[in-house]
Order: sequence, then C-alpha cells, then structure tokens
Amino acid sequence: MIGLFHFRPTVPLAWRILTDDKRRTGLALVGIFMAILLVFVELGFFYAVPRGGLLLYDNMRFDLLLASNEYEYQAQPGAFPLSQLERVRSSTDVAEATPIYFGFTKWKSGEGDLWPDIFVIGFDPANHIFIPDSINRQSAVLERADTVLVDSATRPMFGPLDTGRIVEIGDRKVTIGGQYVLGTGFMGLGVALASTANFARLFPQRGSAIANLGAIRLKAGVDPDRAAGDLQKLAGSGTRIFTRQELDAHETAYWTTRTSVGIIFGSGLLISLVVGIMIVYQIVSTQVGRQLSQFATLKAIGYPDRSLAGTVSAMSLLIVIAGFVPALAAAWGLYSLIRQETLLPVTMSELRVLAVFAAALAMAVVSALLSVGALRRADPADVF
Amino acid sequence: MPLAWRNLIANKQRLLRSAAGIGFAVLLMLMQLGFEQAFFDSALVVIRGLDGDLLIQSVHKYQFATRNPFPGTNLDIARKVPGVADARPLYADWFDFFWKNPTDGKVFLVRAFGFDPDEPVFLFADVNANREKLKEPGTVLVDRQARRFLGMNGGASETEINGMKVKIVGGFALGPDFVSDGTVMMSDRTFVSLLRGSAPGVDLGVVKVRPGDDPAAIQQALRKALPDTMAVFTKPELIEFERKFQAAISSAGPIFAMGTVVGFVVGMLISYQITYTDVADQLPQYATLKAIGYRTGYLLRVVLEQAALNALAGWVPAVLVSILLYRVIGKVALLPLHMTAKIVFVSLGLTLGMCLISAAIAVRRVATADPAEVF
Repeated sequence: MIGLFHFRPTVPLAWRILTDDKRRTGLALVGIFMAILLVFVELGFFYAVPRGGLLLYDNMRFDLLLASNEYEYQAQPGAFPLSQLERVRSSTDVAEATPIYFGFTKWKSGEGDLWPDIFVIGFDPANHIFIPDSINRQSAVLERADTVLVDSATRPMFGPLDTGRIVEIGDRKVTIGGQYVLGTGFMGLGVALASTANFARLFPQRGSAIANLGAIRLKAGVDPDRAAGDLQKLAGSGTRIFTRQELDAHETAYWTTRTSVGIIFGSGLLISLVVGIMIVYQIVSTQVGRQLSQFATLKAIGYPDRSLAGTVSAMSLLIVIAGFVPALAAAWGLYSLIRQETLLPVTMSELRVLAVFAAALAMAVVSALLSVGALRRADPADVF
Repeated sequence: MPLAWRNLIANKQRLLRSAAGIGFAVLLMLMQLGFEQAFFDSALVVIRGLDGDLLIQSVHKYQFATRNPFPGTNLDIARKVPGVADARPLYADWFDFFWKNPTDGKVFLVRAFGFDPDEPVFLFADVNANREKLKEPGTVLVDRQARRFLGMNGGASETEINGMKVKIVGGFALGPDFVSDGTVMMSDRTFVSLLRGSAPGVDLGVVKVRPGDDPAAIQQALRKALPDTMAVFTKPELIEFERKFQAAISSAGPIFAMGTVVGFVVGMLISYQITYTDVADQLPQYATLKAIGYRTGYLLRVVLEQAALNALAGWVPAVLVSILLYRVIGKVALLPLHMTAKIVFVSLGLTLGMCLISAAIAVRRVATADPAEVF
C-alpha cells in the first residue's frame, strides 16, 4: 500500500518541477534538441556514403544480381562471360536475366580542351531495367546507332549536354540523344547510358561477350534466397549471386570499412554521441541540483530514495522526449537541405528514428541514475 | 579582466563542465578541419614528391589521377630546349593494374608508377634507394603503408600483377589517397609489359631546369617548342591545378564545411547556455554592481571577457586532444592528419567567434538587470 502511495506522485511531481521555471526548462530543451539533432546529422552523413554507393542499384529493377566472384564494389565489379548468364536465364524460376556492361573512357569534348573520364553503362533498353521514367521514355533514342543518354548531374566540365550535340567518346563520334535523371553518385563525374550495341561500338575490344553484371528478375512467388542458391549452381564457377539485402550489406561494408570515409564520418558520429551524452547529463544534473533543497526536504519527511529516483528519472525522460520531437522534425528538414547542397543522399529511415529514440531514452535514464547518486548523498541537515 | 578571471575560477566544477562542453564542440570542428586538410594533402602528396621544376603533361589531362599518355618524342623535343637540364618520363596508371594479395590471393586495383631506374623522377628517398633493383624485369617496389587488405606489408617476395608473376624487391612509405588504396613502383619496361591492352605512353614529363635559369622563362620556351597538345606547368602551378580540381569537383568540400558548421552551431548553443546560466546565477551581484554605480558597459565587457576565457578553457585541451587523435586516427586510417598553424588559427577564430556571439546574445539579461527587481 505504502509503495503505491509513493509511486503515484512521481510523474506529476516531475512535471510540476519542470514547468515551474519555464525559462530554465526551455533552455534545457534547447540543449537536448541540439544534442539529438547533432546525432541525427552525423548518422545521416555516415550512412549517406554507402547510400550514395548504392545509388545505381537503388534505381534498378532486379531480385538477384549475378556478378563475378571477384566483385569488389560497384565500380570494380569484375566480369564474366555472357554464357553464364544465359545458363541462368534457362531456369524456370527466372523471368528475365539481362546483362549490364560497365566501361570507363575519355570524353574528348570537355570544356577547355579537357578530357574527363565518363562512366558508360551498357544495357538492353527494351528490358526497362532502370526505374527512372526519364530513361524508359527514351528507349527508342537509345536504340539509335551511336547515340547515348547523359545523366543530368554530369558535371559542367563535360561541356553542354544539349540533345543533338555530337561529342567524341573514346574513339567514336556519338550523338547526345537526351538527358536522364538518376545521379552520378560515386560512379564518376559523368555517366552515360548506351544500348548494348552502342556499348560494343564504344568498347570494341570487349564487345558484348563479357558482361559485368546480370540483373535477374524472378517469376512471381519465387523465394529470392532459395533461388539464389539454385541459380548459383547453374551459373557455374567464377560467379556469385547477390540478393538485394546481401548487395546492400556488401556495398555498405565496403564504404564504411574499406575507405577513409568510414573513419571520417564514424569519428564525427562518435564525437557527436559523446557530446550528446554530456549535454543530457549536464542538463539533468543541473535540474536535480537546482531542486536539491526540495529533494532533501522530501527525504527528511520520509520519501524513500527510490521514489525520488523515480521522480528524477521521470524529469529526465520528460525533457528528453520533449526535446526529441522537434529535433526529429528539424533533422528531417536539415536532411533535405543537405541533400540539396552536397548532393549526398542523406535520408531518414524508421530504423534510425527508433534507434536514436532508444539511445536518447537510454541516455536519459543513465543521466538520471547518475544524478540520483548525488541525491542519495544529500543530507537534509546539510541543506539547512 | 581580474573580475572575469575570478568569476571563472570561482567554481572549479562549473569551469570543468563548461570547458568540457565547449571543448567537445571544438573537437568536432577540429576533426572536420583535419580531415579536410588530409583529403587535400593526400591528393597532392605524389605531385609534391616529383623531382622537377617543370612538369609536362597532355593538355587534356584534367586531374592527376587519370591517364593521358603522350608520345615519348615530346621529351626529346623538351631536352633540346636551351635551359633544360633533363626531361625524364613518368609512366602512371590508376585503373589497369590488378595486384594479387600474396597472403589470401584476392585481387585489388592499385596505382602504378614506372620510370627509368637510371633516371629517377621522385624525391622519395626510400624509392630512390631501391631503384637499382628495379632494373631486373618483372620487379616491383610496394607501398608498405598501403591499405592493409592489399597485403603489401608482409614479407612476401613475389606475387602477381595482371596475372603475371612479379618479384617484390623492396618497399617505400607513401600511403593511400581517396582514389587508390596502394601503390607499386617499377621500371618503365616492367610497366609497359604489365599494362595489357592499353596504349603505352608517357603520362608526365619531369623537367629539371639548369641551375641559375629562371623556370618561368624555360616554361615559355618549352611551350613554344612543344606541340599544342602538350601543357607545361611549374610544380606549384600543377599543385594549384590539382587543388582547384579537388575543391571544385568533389563533394568533399561542402561535406567538411557542413561538419564544421555543425560543430560551430553546437558550440554556440553550449556557450549560450553556459553564459546564460552564469549570468542568471550572478544576477544579484551584477545588479548590485549596477546599483553601486558600475556602468552597464563595464559589466557587459566582463561577461564577454568571461566568455572568451571559457572559450580558451575549452579550446586549449581540445587542440591537445586533437593532436593525439590526429596521430592515432592517422595511423589507423592511413590518412595524413596533421595539426598545422592554419588549423590552429582557424579553430581559434571559430571558437572565440562562437562563444562571443552567443555571449553577446545572452548578455541582454545583464543589460536589463534592474537592481530594484532583484531585492
């Protein structure tokens, strides 16, 4: 009975303490807001890099991806003979298996006589492998001889990208048939799409017999994981098959562990977490400190430490939750701004929101418990 | 000044908390500034390591890390220009050399440089010390500071490049950059034999000017002598050309800038909270001082001085910790992270700026402190 009595006033008490001095609480909220926003921003940057690396795949339709087993990451995919993809196509699970070709060559019509490198993607336009409408609408354009589509995000260094402009790519004169909207990501400074035939003309040493990737679409109802195993055996040695999740994980692992960016943004993330914890702790302990005499009085009357700890925890959680909501809203807006300014794909995900919320709650509780340590030591006699 | 100082050290615990708060915000900025510099430095390290006064390359070459080979005859033309002491070829490639890790057999892309062992082009002492060994065909020197997954750091004596056997005859310390994970050096003959399918050709001509001659004048002479397809840079000009490209083209600039801005804003908020709390806590004292007759201007100055001292109290330890972190992260991530005067001054400016601005905003309280209200 007594236990019940003591727990009931916890939250209302915490609420009244917080709303008593609105200005101070407001300031505390601003601090929490900043701490959580900082964590969101650093998380955004950290995952933007692998997300950027996945830009092309995110804009492609496939259930499984066939690649050489020397596949490093998207820019170094290795290669395999077309015949292996054809074997995969023969399976009853497969609706479509279409080859993708990657090549780098010189764009000899850049500004100021410069020859920047262009990344060329060869594919069969009829298969509608890409998601963006701007590509699928121009399938007929791609089928024309010596014609390519150029990504609209291709840098100004490549010169004007007007439709009809004739440019020299590699050793061939090629017409720009139009532009499409996807993004160059980390593929390079400029990207162009070509039909398989045009790709072979641009890269005559390779032709179309050696492909870099095979985009596999399964029939309805087929389980991708099971099919991956079966098709792997069919395709033969020297290849591997990725499911979407495996591909995501592989590219993310590459960008976060194999490149400097992982360390750079990871350290920013780590520091922001430390700053966040520090801010939360400082705010909570300040709030507790201000109420020390009141808490000591309550102790003197007979409130158990447990109940006071409950009140402090409630205060801590209330502040953190109240600061979280505007921080989330601001983060959303900031993400959009960052996307515009830096062209980095900084995006929000439900998992991230939940993770940061959970972390914020954890920080709140830990800070509260640490501050409660000070409470315990509060000797009522000292205060008066 | 004494009042601000005494305020600062009066409450040690409070000083520690504010120094820590500001310090971490400064640390965030210092990390961004350090990484930004490492990004540019790593792109320029090889150019800086070229042993030449003038550099000849294709007029179409848009950045250092791309192949634009030109015929070696251009170097013969260069050598005949009066004032030119020597014009040596550098073969370079970034995307066609596949190195097999001798330990696990995995294959990776590496950067490759080739030169005549009798005509060294680099300033790197460790490369030049081993160049005689490169005369044997099929021999390479490896980058001991390459990314570890390349396996260049072990004791292996041979491996494969592009499917052909090579002997590892020595090492040098260079480190990766944002394009390449590691580097191999070899003789010009080995370079050409390993490079399959691509047209051989010199990528860079490293020119030494006769002692006493003006490089700028020789540069003009070379431009006249060489065809229009060739460009001639002084070494500082080529460094600037590359730096401009990296700054303009990569998204790195805005990313680092944004990271620094984030640190700045966080610092401002922390500093605002500190100043606001301090001033609010000491309002009675300030009001009393005003009542005695101290002018508001003097009190405002005290608050700002205190903010500046708080800023320094956070900045100094942050810089010291950064120096340590730069070393540790630099070693782990193989990045050239160094504390420089520029980073010190920029961070100091930003720190003082953010603390003074936020203090100025918080100080409105002092300006309106009415002595009567307080009592």
